Amino acid sequence: MVTALQLALNGLALGAAYALVALGFVLVLNATGAVNFAQGDLVMAGGYAAAVLAPLLPVSGLALLPIVIAAMALLGLAVSVLGYFPLMRRPATAVFVSTIAIGLVLQNAALALFGPEARTAPPVWDSEPLRWGDIVLSSQSLAVIGIAAVLVLGQAWLLAHTRLGRNLRATAQDREMAAALGIRVNAMIALSFMLAAALAGTAGALLTNQFFVTPTAGGALILKAYIAVVIGGWGSLAGAVIGALLVGLFETVVAAAVSYTAASALLYAALLLILLLRPQGLFGEAAGRRA
Amino acid sequence: MTLRIASLLLAVAVAVAAPAHAEELRIPVLVPLTGVLALEGTSQRNGALLAIAHPPGGVTAKSEVADTGAAPELAVTALEKALDPGTPVAVVASMFGPQILAMLPIGAERKVPLLTISGSVAVTEQNNAYVFRFFPSDKVVKVAQAKYVVDALKKTRPAIVYQTTAYGQGGKAVLEDTFGKLGVKPAFSEGVDISVKDLLPVLTRAREANPDILVLQLHAPATALIIKQAAAMGLGLPIVSGSAIGQPTTAALLEPKELANVCAESASSPISGGSPALEKFTADYRQSFNTEPDAYALAQYDGTEMMLAAVKAGATTPEAMRQALATTSYQGLAMTYKSDGRGNMAHTAVILCYDGASRVPKIVQTYENIDAGM
Repeated sequence: MVTALQLALNGLALGAAYALVALGFVLVLNATGAVNFAQGDLVMAGGYAAAVLAPLLPVSGLALLPIVIAAMALLGLAVSVLGYFPLMRRPATAVFVSTIAIGLVLQNAALALFGPEARTAPPVWDSEPLRWGDIVLSSQSLAVIGIAAVLVLGQAWLLAHTRLGRNLRATAQDREMAAALGIRVNAMIALSFMLAAALAGTAGALLTNQFFVTPTAGGALILKAYIAVVIGGWGSLAGAVIGALLVGLFETVVAAAVSYTAASALLYAALLLILLLRPQGLFGEAAGRRA
Repeated sequence: MTLRIASLLLAVAVAVAAPAHAEELRIPVLVPLTGVLALEGTSQRNGALLAIAHPPGGVTAKSEVADTGAAPELAVTALEKALDPGTPVAVVASMFGPQILAMLPIGAERKVPLLTISGSVAVTEQNNAYVFRFFPSDKVVKVAQAKYVVDALKKTRPAIVYQTTAYGQGGKAVLEDTFGKLGVKPAFSEGVDISVKDLLPVLTRAREANPDILVLQLHAPATALIIKQAAAMGLGLPIVSGSAIGQPTTAALLEPKELANVCAESASSPISGGSPALEKFTADYRQSFNTEPDAYALAQYDGTEMMLAAVKAGATTPEAMRQALATTSYQGLAMTYKSDGRGNMAHTAVILCYDGASRVPKIVQTYENIDAGM
């Protein structure tokens, strides 16, 4: 029982980080109608940003986070300028190919700049793990859960209760209509890329302390984000979060019960079942609305 | 126009008047600098480059480095390209098992020796006279790892955690085979995909099997992660890892106290010192590459130095080089290299252990010619 609780807490922390990745993935998907395959590599870039900036800046891990977020937002802007806007009138496939290319550029840039060795980043705060009987939860895991919760709720509030959020949603729903209403559609799309990169960077900075970062670390993360979004519902922000938490729990609780291989097989089986029985995902809009 | 023709004539004149250039050895270095083995491949490249930069007196050589990435076809293309302007005396070939296996038929067909540091057993079991391996194969290092667990530490219930890649599964097969020969049945054995983040589940499952030691065959980041998580959960078991944690860049990811009770198999440990020549190598390596050398770098350095020494001794054609590598022995910095008739040049493994106070391991056991006895 204690072990199961411990694993569930670990799964929650991992799922929370995945949720940030998936959330950014959905933001760009909604804004552009295209999949951003560079999202995993943006997580990697965030990890390197934290690992490289930490020795240069005499600040705590918590204070470092806003700096990483700001840097990643700028990188997101660059991704939109280089990978999306030149191709925005082309089919969605052109955009996802360009984001794959950008991901490869990021991987090779990391390799060239920082070398192939794994790096680690400082914890958000350095303290003893929280102990509750035999259950041990690292302060970093708590930080991941807490920061992810703040960012997820903050984004929900931004989208639901601010003018900027309404403009973002309007752009996601119907770009032409939004433009006709005077919304600066391109600015909203660029902002979506910036938010997505900032969320990815946060996930990267948080994960790198516990799980390290290498130039190729993003590949697996984009797959997990993709699975989370399909499970949760193509285009659904809440669904992406739930899907990511499920992926995290499969990787920990289910893997501990049956092995990693069996857990992966079960996850993919669940994915296939959802696609078969509820193609729009658990919380998604009607199937076929998006590319 | 006149200027262009004059420049062209000048270039031709310089080319004709430079016979010394033709005597310079061209050594292709075709290694994985990107992909899953980028860390180890970079060490392989660095070792080769350092040797080429310090050839024996009278030999001049230049390297041609190409990245083979992670796919066998990229390695084959790189080799074909390297052989295109004329066959070099030898090629430093990828340490990545699937890549060197794909390169072997071309090496034999073009009759050019391939110098590698791959650990995959199959590399020297293809009946190919043109491959020379300067890193002990899994049949050396994995046997040493298992023997250290059973003979030295007297453990009888190992839990094996391995990566589900070719590297992980190949090593795990030798480990299980050796444990069987030593009369020990692993209490637990499970593969981990390279994309898995949290390794607490496998540690939890391993602990439930009540093992008395953890035996690892994982790539570098996963090795560091599982050691970190084992320390955090208070697993309380000794760990004997594959060579990954012997790499200084991997050990740097952990606090020294997390490395307490952790040992690893390897071919060598340059940073642990041992001789003035080895310490000079380590100093030169640090100066050249601004990083710490590992066993892969030293193995490829030794292999390349052996090849350059053979050139100095007169082996200036690929066939003469094959003969020299196949029949002579060479005292390198890590060990003495001599072919066993199948291209296995390295037959020594060491066990390194950390003391929990520093990230520099100590060599606690050396196994010589262990492959001959198993």
